[in-house]
Formats: sequence, C-alpha cells, structure tokens
Amino acid sequence: MRLRRIIEVGLPRLLAWCLLGFLFVPILVVIPVALTDRDYLSLPQDGISMEHFAALTDWSKGWLPSMLTSAGIALACAAIATALGVAFAVGAWAAGGWWPSLMRILLLSPMIVPPIIYAVGMVKLWARLSLLDSYTGVVLVHVVLALPLTVLAIGASLSNLDQRLVQAARSLGARPMTVFGKVILPNIVPGVAAGALLAFVASWDEITVTLFITGRAVVTLPRRIWTSIQDAVDPALAAIATVLLVVTVLALVARALIERRQRQRKF
Amino acid sequence: MALLVIDDLEKTYDKVTALTGIDLSVEAGEFVTLLGPSGSGKTTLLMSLAGFTTPSKGTIRLDGKDITHVDPEDRNFGFVFQGYALFPHLSVANNIAFSLRVRKWEKPKIAARVAEMLSLVGLDNLAERKPRELSGGQQQRVAIARALAFGPRILLLDEPLSALDRMLRESMQKELKRLHRETGVTFVYVTHDQEEAIAMSDRIAVFNHGRIVEIGLPRDLYKKPSTRFVAGFLGENNFLSGHRADDDETMVEAFGTRFGSAPVKGRRERPGDTLTVWVRPEDIRIGQATDDEIGFRATVVENSFVGALERILLKTATGEQMVATLRSEAAVAAVPGQVIDCRIDPSAIGVLPNETRGS
Repeated sequence: MRLRRIIEVGLPRLLAWCLLGFLFVPILVVIPVALTDRDYLSLPQDGISMEHFAALTDWSKGWLPSMLTSAGIALACAAIATALGVAFAVGAWAAGGWWPSLMRILLLSPMIVPPIIYAVGMVKLWARLSLLDSYTGVVLVHVVLALPLTVLAIGASLSNLDQRLVQAARSLGARPMTVFGKVILPNIVPGVAAGALLAFVASWDEITVTLFITGRAVVTLPRRIWTSIQDAVDPALAAIATVLLVVTVLALVARALIERRQRQRKF
Repeated sequence: MALLVIDDLEKTYDKVTALTGIDLSVEAGEFVTLLGPSGSGKTTLLMSLAGFTTPSKGTIRLDGKDITHVDPEDRNFGFVFQGYALFPHLSVANNIAFSLRVRKWEKPKIAARVAEMLSLVGLDNLAERKPRELSGGQQQRVAIARALAFGPRILLLDEPLSALDRMLRESMQKELKRLHRETGVTFVYVTHDQEEAIAMSDRIAVFNHGRIVEIGLPRDLYKKPSTRFVAGFLGENNFLSGHRADDDETMVEAFGTRFGSAPVKGRRERPGDTLTVWVRPEDIRIGQATDDEIGFRATVVENSFVGALERILLKTATGEQMVATLRSEAAVAAVPGQVIDCRIDPSAIGVLPNETRGS
C-alpha cells in the first residue's frame, strides 16, 4: 500500500519539482555570477564583489543609456500598439461580419511569419524610406510585432462584454464617442492593461529584427547585451540579468497581490 | 392624431422577409403589446422603432414627423432589454443617471431625478449596489428606471419578464401596469406570452410570419377573433370542423349537433360550405341542455386535476376530441369511459371560414 502511494503521489510530485528546478535553477545561476570578483564570466572565487553592478550605473559603459533607449522605445511602442489594438478590437467587435475576421488574420501574421524573414523585408523597406537606425524605424517595427498581442488581449476582454450595452447606451442618448469612453472602455480596462504590458515586454526584449535595422545610433538593451557577448564575456551581463530578474519577480508578486485584493473586494 | 404612426413598414434580410405590410398607430399613453411566436417579426418591429434596425420600406412617424432614419440616440425612446443590459461597471444610481449625464443636466437636478426614479421602482436603499449584486427582479426594476429617467415619449420593452420565474413575473406585470399608469408614458411591449399580453395591454397586435394578423382589445381578440391563428394563439381553444346546413344558411352543423349562426357580413358563405368551429374549454358545461343551449353527448376520455379546475378530454359523436375545463364539483360525473350530456351557450361558439393553412 505504501509503495503504491509513493508511486501514485510521490513520484509525480518529484517529477514536477524536478521540472520546476530545471526551468528555474539555470536562471538563478546568474546571481552568483553577477557577484564574481573576476573580470570574466565565472563564479566568485576570493569573495564577492559589487563592481559589476556599479559598472551598470556608469554612463560611459553604455548600459544605462541603452536601458533608457529600450525603456523609451518600449513605452512608445506600448502606447501606440495599445491605442491601435483598442481601435481595431472595438471596431471589429462592434461591426461584426466577415471583414474583421479577415483583418484579424492579417494583424496576427507577424506572430506567424518567422521574425528573421520579417527582418530581411524590413531592412529593404527601411533602407528605401531612410528609417534604418532611427528611433521611428525601431518603434514602428516593434509596434507591428506587438499589435497581435494587444489585439488578442483586448479582444479576449471584449468577448465577455454584452453587445447590447452599446444599444442600451445609444437608446439613452449617448453618441458613439460617449459609448466608447463611458461604456466600452471602462469594461475592458484589464484587457487594455494586459495588452499594454505585453506590448512593452515584446519591445523590451525584441532582438532579431532590431539587430537588422539598427547600427550605431539606436542601441537597445538587447542589442547592447548582444554586442558585449560578441567581443568580451563581461560579468556585467550577469549583473544586468540579475536586475531584470529581480524587477520581473517584483512585478509578478505585485500583480498577484493586487489581484488577490480585487478578488477579496468582489466577495 | 396618433402619437406614433407606422405605415407600410417592411424589412427584408437578403431574401428573407422579416416584416411586411406593417400598419399600426399608437395613441399617446397607450399600452400596446406586439404578440406573436418567435420569429414572427415582433422584435424586428421593436428594433425598427428604436432605430437599431433600418426598415427596407415604409415610414415611422412620431407626432407626424418622419423618424424612420433618425439615429437611436436622437429618438428619445426608452428601451428595456431582454436580460436588462445594465452597465456592469456602474452603480444602480449611476446606471439611472447615465441618460441625464449624457444630456448634461445639472448635478442637483440629476440627484433629485435619480432619487425620484429609485423610489418609483422601490429601490431607494440599493442606490450604491452594482448590478451583479442584485436579484433578477431588482435588475429589471433598475432597467426600467434607467429607461424612464430622461422622460421618454415612448418606452419600448423587449420581453422584459421572460427571464423571471412565474411568481415574480406576475408581480412584475402588476408593477409595470402601475408604472404605466403613474408615468403616463406610452408603452410598446413585445412578448410571446399571450397571458401576459391579455393581462397588461390596452391593445394587442398579433404577429405571425412577419405580418400583423389582427389588432384589437384583448377582450375582443379573445372573444371574437377573426382568424384561426388568433383564436388558437390567445388562450386555449377547441377547433372542430363543421359546415353550413344544406337547407338553412343560418344554421351550422358540427360535432353531431346543429345550431344557429348567421353568416358574417361581407363573407361569402353558401349552404354546404365547410367551416372551422371553435369553442373555449371553459364554455363547455356538463348536464342537460336548456332550450337556449346546444346539447350534445360525448364520451369522457380522460379526467385530470389541474388545481382550481378539472380538465376533461371528451370525444364527440363525430369522433372529434375537445377539452373542457370545469370546477371540481361540476366534474364529478365525468368518469372516464362514461357517456355524458354536455351543453354550450350558442353565443360562445365561434365560426370561422375554413382556412387551408394556419395563417
């Protein structure tokens, strides 16, 4: 009986923990590496050092400027992709019929087409429009890549919304813009927020297409990391990975806490 | 002049006709019900009145002004939806205030109006609740208060009671009648429930296959329907086949008996013509007929107790079945298998021309 219990309950549980460990432990390795006292990628040998974290804040080393560049591009991309996503999703939801489905397939195509193919195409196009290595060029490309994510997130939110709310609002005298601002938007805030976050993250760690269309002028964080891997294996890489890891974990914890509070308020 | 005049309205989708030849006028303050089975076009007409559906042909006039193509937001008609469609993110008070904010009323005026509407529907203490925290009946009241808040000329209601249970439905019927009386607003009400229509309406327009079959007072439609469809749709009815007597055109022969029924003016009937004869279950009684009544003998097939009344299934001498509803003490003689004497007041029997189809 005991053996059977171990096989039925214990084994699957062990397997699950192994899987989680396999997913997470390699990520955690960056933390000790970031604290190494050597100037190459290694585990600390004669004690720990904060010098690689200090290097991140040194403007001349280029980490900080590229972080700001990435943040700026990601914010612009999130804003534009969310606005376009809301406009399309709400329009498609309200109109119905065959054309929104067709448009949706078109919009989702960046998710289906391999980024490398897309990158080659964009290099040709941006070269002709002289948008290569420009902020506008990078933001536009990131918007196209983020649009499927915002459309999906906002569309999911809308699919739970009763279409008759629009008719109700109109029968009460609301014009289309009022219907949008006072009825539709307040009801899809979670979807809009999720879409904006996804767009931000998609832009923040986009590398494939960015590598092709940027040079010296626009250096995003992923690009900076890429370059540093190529010429020297700098432990600052591990330091920046640690910072990103901590920020991500904090964001996830904050989200869980907010959701918990909202759920408690509901009941 | 009538408040609302609908003239020759038609709505077709691709090749399907949803509504055709609709003429209807509604007086100010009236309670008019559009009654019909699902798919009969009554909701399409309501949606056209609200402006959510554009008619393919015909006009809708309000106070003589053509509003057929006016946007819904400019019509000033209240609308109560099936399933209510309350704004989930707004409190009860803010749902009711929505139309007033859109119309840019001043704050104190809005507050006063919301309070007035809340007390009108008896929800004074629930102003701050969200719709999901309310019961079905309460949500219904909010939906009505919201639609009435801005003082619409006409309130359109789309099967508002269909989601409620029977007890609640009956009390909401009384509530709606009271609101109609107290506000003086014109009600156009859509339902497929004939009992509801009879209980509430000043007038009923009966729909079938995209047309209005008959319009009239509930009593007239029940007592003197001029189509087989209305005779069958409003209340329970027994249909039997009969014909004009060969020798006397003022007499009708049916279910093994013979009774006087003058031919209806304007209708061409000749001796021997086949007819549809109807008699309501509550008009059939048991016992020996008096001189003024029609008597006939029938076999009791089944006798079932349905609360206040007994429901008796009878088989006439001509082999046709009919249902009679009787008070329990009057139904003692109705033992299954027994042949009993039945009687009917001839004025309760209706005669309609024989229709080949049920339209």
